[in-house]
Amino acid sequence: MKKAKLSISSALIISCAAVLIGASLFFPWWGMRFVAPQYPEGLDIIVYPNKLKGNIDIINGLNHYIGMKPFSEESFPELSYLPYVIGALAVLTLVVAWLRDKRWLFGLIIVFAFGGLLGLYDLHRWLVDFGTNLSDDAPIKIEPFVPPMFGENRIANFVTNSYFSTGAYMIGAAFLLLILPLWKERK
Amino acid sequence: MKKKWISAISGLAVGVLASTVFFGDFSPKQPTSTASAKTNAEKVYVPFGEKDEYYLFASGGHSGQLFVYGVPSLRRIRTVPVFSLDSATGYGWDEHSKKMLGGYTWGDLHHPALSETNGDYDGKYLFATDVANSRAAVMDLKTFTVKDIISVPNTSGPHCAAFVTENTEYLFLPTRFAVPLGDKYESLDDYSTKYRGVMSAVTFDENEQKLNIAYQVALPPWSYDLSDAGKKVSKDWAVITTYNTEEATTNLEINASKEDRDFIVLFNWRELEKMVKEGKYDTVEGQKVIFPEKHEGGIYLIPVAKSPHGVDVTPDGKRFIASGKLAPLLTVFSFEKAFKAIENKEFAGERNGIPILKYESVMEREVNPENALGPLHTQFDDKGMAYTTMFISSEVVKWDPNTGEVLDRVPVQYSPGHSVAAEGDTVSPDGKYLVSLNKLAKDSYLSVGPSHPESMQLIDISGKMEVIQSAPVDPEPHYGQMIKADKIKTIEVYPKDEKNPYAVFNQKDTRIVRKGNEVHVYGIAMRSKFIFDAKAKRPDVIEVNEGDKVFIHLTNIDRDEDITHGFAINKYNINIEVQPGQTNTVEFVADKAGTYPIYCTNFCSALHQEMTGYLLVKPKQ
Ligand SMILES: [Cu+2]
Repeated sequence: MKKAKLSISSALIISCAAVLIGASLFFPWWGMRFVAPQYPEGLDIIVYPNKLKGNIDIINGLNHYIGMKPFSEESFPELSYLPYVIGALAVLTLVVAWLRDKRWLFGLIIVFAFGGLLGLYDLHRWLVDFGTNLSDDAPIKIEPFVPPMFGENRIANFVTNSYFSTGAYMIGAAFLLLILPLWKERK
Repeated sequence: MKKKWISAISGLAVGVLASTVFFGDFSPKQPTSTASAKTNAEKVYVPFGEKDEYYLFASGGHSGQLFVYGVPSLRRIRTVPVFSLDSATGYGWDEHSKKMLGGYTWGDLHHPALSETNGDYDGKYLFATDVANSRAAVMDLKTFTVKDIISVPNTSGPHCAAFVTENTEYLFLPTRFAVPLGDKYESLDDYSTKYRGVMSAVTFDENEQKLNIAYQVALPPWSYDLSDAGKKVSKDWAVITTYNTEEATTNLEINASKEDRDFIVLFNWRELEKMVKEGKYDTVEGQKVIFPEKHEGGIYLIPVAKSPHGVDVTPDGKRFIASGKLAPLLTVFSFEKAFKAIENKEFAGERNGIPILKYESVMEREVNPENALGPLHTQFDDKGMAYTTMFISSEVVKWDPNTGEVLDRVPVQYSPGHSVAAEGDTVSPDGKYLVSLNKLAKDSYLSVGPSHPESMQLIDISGKMEVIQSAPVDPEPHYGQMIKADKIKTIEVYPKDEKNPYAVFNQKDTRIVRKGNEVHVYGIAMRSKFIFDAKAKRPDVIEVNEGDKVFIHLTNIDRDEDITHGFAINKYNINIEVQPGQTNTVEFVADKAGTYPIYCTNFCSALHQEMTGYLLVKPKQ
């Protein structure tokens, strides 16, 4: 590959990606909404990179009937280091923008894509863990299940809806912004 | 003669024609009001999913409870226990309510009063008084539960209370029965000298959620019946009706109805407040008591038609209207005139050391609607028009306080005592609705035998008065308060109070601690189990020795809307409730050895039936 510098406009686009990555820390990434006849207003699990929000206590209270382990911020060690990983990624992206080096950008995209896949795998792993490791002592016996990462599902009287949220879309957009200079400056 | 007729009629016809041509409105008719086009059923129907427009708080009389209704549906939403035990909610068994009730098992709840800011309901608190045991209570409208009850010494039966001042500075509790100070024994022969009808000025400390008695006034030994606080121009003042100024001590039916005039007590609470600050009081039974004969000022008497009942201040605060129960007329008095008379010291003598104002110098007009008998109580609409219940002629009469003109009348079934209009005793009544609280129902509802229910009737007052809904009521509502529903902001779940030493929010922290012969249980209730000691072999069992004093602190860790748990012990007469997020305490002596199941009384989940445990009381060796 020729050692040509990326254009200033590409550097700006990459900087934008860095800002998006950094900003995504303050938005929810993923969520799940539970709706049942007694809960027409819905119960939420909302996952930020560093915390859980929503009706966690209530959902835990209900989940104990089917023997699901309680969710808590402590049960997800990722929440303690994920902000640093994402922060580092944002800084790295900024560095790449400043270097304006195509090879660095290429490397960053690979790291980014790999990280993203790892993140999705991690989420999937947790969903499998919570849905299948149900306590034998549960008052209500149900078949182990894996809640979907995306889309609708039914568990007992609850219709669940899993979705990616603002933070995840910001990361997605950042990824597209990183690819854009490669496409723009293709020879 | 004939000619005259013809010319008169033709003249009229021309006039009508001319006026029609010049002033007639030929545009297509708009419905004058959508409400009038509705049937009564439509007016009161609130479809499921929609909510009523107003809360109606009706006093429950000697049930000691407060009834909460929705208006216009007149659906009963909740019964709130205030002065009596209520096993449905465990009220009277847990430590807080047990302490508040102070050993009494009933009360006679009269005249609920909403807290006010600038003379308007603020939707924060509701006060009520107990005629039976001389108490006052405050209910928090965030939770619809009673926060504090105080006993008021030196008095007996605060019937004409509570009424609150414009910014809830005070709620005043004048008493119905004159008694000797300190509840002491005194011969009835010394009634006029030794007995007093004490009025208490009660304050409410919002931070501490405590009622306190600021001071009392040793009024003459008469019976005080109804009262109202001034508004706007009269905001520092209040009025009370009184009967038995005859000071009779027996057969009051006859003996308290002898004189042609009784009195309205007019007082300035700012002045009384000042007197207390200046030390112009005696201390009796720990209370600062002002004796009007020793310290003049602040209190005046106004003659009124005999045995008056209601006295109500108009929304603009300029007038007060007294209803003569036995003299069938209403009197409109003017605050301005009263103030002027006081300023000019235009007194017609004094009674018991209190100056009497001349009737003529305070009175504005007497109103006597034809055949309307037994006027009791007046409420107001948004245009300042007055609505007076007529106990004897069973009707509500609408009239204009500015002119005394009778505007409308509607019969009710039967014998209305009080009535309540939507925000009808504030500075800005809403109009629209009035509820007549009737003492008799006769055959209005399905029969339940000789004791008929009382009845409430909803009257649409937006146009011509019309009764549009009736509802049976348990005995016995005396008065109500009707407040716009959106003014009340309830909470759904108790906030997590991490500082409460009795609260446990984590199953792991549940424990049973023994201190000598005291056993303290720090437990939780959750769907669908009790955990009293997470580390025990059986976490849902409390084991004590016969004679132990047991304290059970129970936290409902289901912080989920509408998940209330109960806690009852078989045969131990224990029954409490923990609302979502709440911590509650029950205390008892385990004086019966044996095995006593514990269960959740409040249906909480599919496994509610399994929400049980045991109290094991080991017999003494
Ligand atoms: Cu329960």
